[in-house]
Amino acid sequence: MTNVSFDVNGIAQALEIAGHETLLDVLRDRLSLTGTKLSCGRGECGACTVLLAPPNGRRRAVYSCLTLAVACEGSSVTTIEGLDAKGGGTHPMQQAFIAHDAVQCGFCTPGQILAAVALLDQNAAPSESEIRTAMSGNLCRCGTYPKIILAVQEAGRRLASGG
Amino acid sequence: MADKRFVATKVEVEGREETRIVEIPAFEPAPWTADVPMDVVGQCVPRMDALEKVTGSAVFTADVQRAGMLYTAIVRASVAHGRVTTLDLTAALEVPGVRGVLQRDEVEGIRYDSGQLFDQTIRFAGQPLAAVCAETQDAADRAARAAIVRVDVDRHAVTANAALAPDAPKVRSHGNTSKHSPRIAQRGDADAALRTAEVVVEREYRTPTVLHTAMEPHGAVAEWSGDHLTVWESTQGIFNTRSDLAEAFGLKLTQVRVIKDYMGGGFGAKNGAAASTYIAVALARKLACPVRCVLDREGEQVDSGNRSSTSQRVRLGAMRDGTLTAMVLDAEIVMGVGGWFAGPGKIYHELYACPNVRTTETFVYTHTGAMASFRAPGHVEGAFGLECAMDALARALRMDPIELRLKNYAKHDQEKDRRYSDKRLDECYRLGAERFGWGTKAFSTDAKSARFKRGRGMASIGWGAGGGPPSYATVRMNSDGTVDVLTGSQDLGTGARTVFAQIAAEAIGASIHDVRTILGDTERLPYTSNSWGSQTTASVGPAVRMAAEDARAKLFEAAAQILEAPVEALEARQSVVRMRDHPERAITFAQIGEKLRNVMLIGQGSRGPNPDKTALFAFGAQFAEVEVDLETGQVRVLRIVAAHDSGRIINPRLAESQLEGAILQGIGFALFEERVLDEPLGLPLNPTMHDYKIPTMSDLPAIDGFFVPSSDTVANHVGAKGLAEPPIIGVAPAIANAVTDALGVEVNELPLTPWRVVSALNRDSAERA
Repeated sequence: MTNVSFDVNGIAQALEIAGHETLLDVLRDRLSLTGTKLSCGRGECGACTVLLAPPNGRRRAVYSCLTLAVACEGSSVTTIEGLDAKGGGTHPMQQAFIAHDAVQCGFCTPGQILAAVALLDQNAAPSESEIRTAMSGNLCRCGTYPKIILAVQEAGRRLASGG
Repeated sequence: MADKRFVATKVEVEGREETRIVEIPAFEPAPWTADVPMDVVGQCVPRMDALEKVTGSAVFTADVQRAGMLYTAIVRASVAHGRVTTLDLTAALEVPGVRGVLQRDEVEGIRYDSGQLFDQTIRFAGQPLAAVCAETQDAADRAARAAIVRVDVDRHAVTANAALAPDAPKVRSHGNTSKHSPRIAQRGDADAALRTAEVVVEREYRTPTVLHTAMEPHGAVAEWSGDHLTVWESTQGIFNTRSDLAEAFGLKLTQVRVIKDYMGGGFGAKNGAAASTYIAVALARKLACPVRCVLDREGEQVDSGNRSSTSQRVRLGAMRDGTLTAMVLDAEIVMGVGGWFAGPGKIYHELYACPNVRTTETFVYTHTGAMASFRAPGHVEGAFGLECAMDALARALRMDPIELRLKNYAKHDQEKDRRYSDKRLDECYRLGAERFGWGTKAFSTDAKSARFKRGRGMASIGWGAGGGPPSYATVRMNSDGTVDVLTGSQDLGTGARTVFAQIAAEAIGASIHDVRTILGDTERLPYTSNSWGSQTTASVGPAVRMAAEDARAKLFEAAAQILEAPVEALEARQSVVRMRDHPERAITFAQIGEKLRNVMLIGQGSRGPNPDKTALFAFGAQFAEVEVDLETGQVRVLRIVAAHDSGRIINPRLAESQLEGAILQGIGFALFEERVLDEPLGLPLNPTMHDYKIPTMSDLPAIDGFFVPSSDTVANHVGAKGLAEPPIIGVAPAIANAVTDALGVEVNELPLTPWRVVSALNRDSAERA
């Protein structure tokens, strides 16, 4: 067991973590942040996507099922529950997902939203083809892809104009 | 009729028609015909549970946390056929955190789709043999890996050919075909008609075994309190799950409560208690703790159902003018170890006017996981054979594919010789062709070079989607004027919560913002049928409407007292009751509630019988344009136009989402998806989401899906029919017909992976040489 300190959604966490525990396990089972989903457990579907910023680094989307929690020392993690940093409201990406019905069953949705936020972090105005490439690691069996593209484009416009 | 309380009525569920005895509702609301003005129904109301889903607060089955809950892992067979000689769980029980195991002798008589739970005779790789339960999932997984299983391995038969060979090992005790195989259905004399036909085409088609691959696997959390059982389950049928559990554990229905709040997709595979449900319940009873059993991805891919693979030998006979005279299908359908008999044959009897039709279906058992319903089971497979053969016939006749289909347009239900409640397939052809630009040629010069060829194709759709009784709903107005819709039912991601709220808001005259829908609890809510067979809106919708109208009648009685106006003079809209001719004399729902104090206005509704001797069908026509890389064989779908007739559309945006989703699943079926087996070993080779390819965002074509205007008030008084399944039916044949158009070579086997396309091209050039 290793003592690991990291920040989850703005709250400092210090946990004793076994070497094989994934960030997904810790989020879901230790911190009860069940918005992050387990679907394949081996980095194939994207349902467990969260945002991870290493110490002094930029945040990016990671598959939490493939991320060992002990490697998160000093990092900041953002899950779907903490996406709206102001708290209590919703992020423009979440609003755009609602407005465009980019949600069917909703199981892959948290991962989709966080992958889309990570995309806009790096590319504020992605083309449709850039969205397709960036989001192809997030599977949706209900087939919300057309609506997700619309939502990401709108969120990009809204964030560019100050949200 | 008027004095009869109960009548017999026919209800079609996934191609199977049942007769049900049903109580006639106390009153029948006037039909919402197409010309009735609508305030809330027909609006793109945002999905009512979207906020919970985008914020991660929606609780799915695996998110349910109970105090002291234990976790489960399943020990599975690693061979396709054999007999367990040793199942040693000693080491498993020694893993720290393990609290107990569940074995064959503790689940006597509990059967699920694949047969007796923990059967020690292995009939497919992945069959559950035992389960272990621990304080963490990690400990349970380790313990399952520590189980020692010794097996006497037998020869297996994992393909239809192997299972039908003379010396094949037996999959089921009575043999390797179903007892009623071959299932023959016929009208007229198809053999004689084939002999006298002026043109005959004969083809063979193959469709693969495909896997539902819902993002959320099957799972349950079970908790006993005394002799009362509560189960949280990812299910399309809370009431089916309840009755399955009551039967398996010898309980009364009052002792079982099944809750489904959110679920991560079903697509047909989650229609009742599953192995995971029984395991969770049995372990929770044995260990006196709440128990979660959620399948891992591999378990989900190998033992939670699949779409049967088929081989279809099709013969069509016609006159030179295109009149169909004979349709003959001989099909083999691979069931795995179990399932029900969907079969590709039915659509051959339904889709076209033809006096002579015969389908012969042989259902073959193999040493693979059991079949389960999968979005339009049978029709998806059958439409591929039939609609590709229709195009082959059109080519033989030098006729336009749509002209051939219109020539054989079925004006009434051919199979059962009865009227349709409504049928606008002709409008789907016309409007779809117009939007697609059918009749103009897809020029390969549009494509990058001579290496890429483009083609166009289309296909027709029909699917029994009228729903039916029994289903019940309660609508109640609270003292602040808000409205609750209470009905059992399930929202799989379809939008049922939103659709019911819209129907109730329309019927009671409320603002949609004042209405919520409460679903998914067998203990607290009225019965509805499973959410399968594109049934939910057409089955439950009329019950919700009736309940809301019943509540409105009471609301109007109260308002009439307050406004000193006759009830007949009142109308309600946007949560305000007013006099039709004196709109200034008005009172809000909230004001009425305030005056009545804690009185609750409650309306009851039920789904009435279906019309006699009437076929209730949804229809559609789909068009595809593809580009094929002649060098690699890769097919890209460029665009899909989908024209659908599903009666009245309650929420156009949600309906469009359903169309797009079904079309994407159809593209997966057409191009990528296929369970691959190692035939010598009998093992599945791709039970992961990396190796089993479902469409990604990169595979998305331009989709233009729409509905032809309609309200089918012969079907039910809301005018809606189902729309979840129809849009997957035509996708694969439309794409295959487009590929054939591009190549000038027929492609008759799915999925159209690059090597299949290249093989078709090579076969063709070999034949030409």
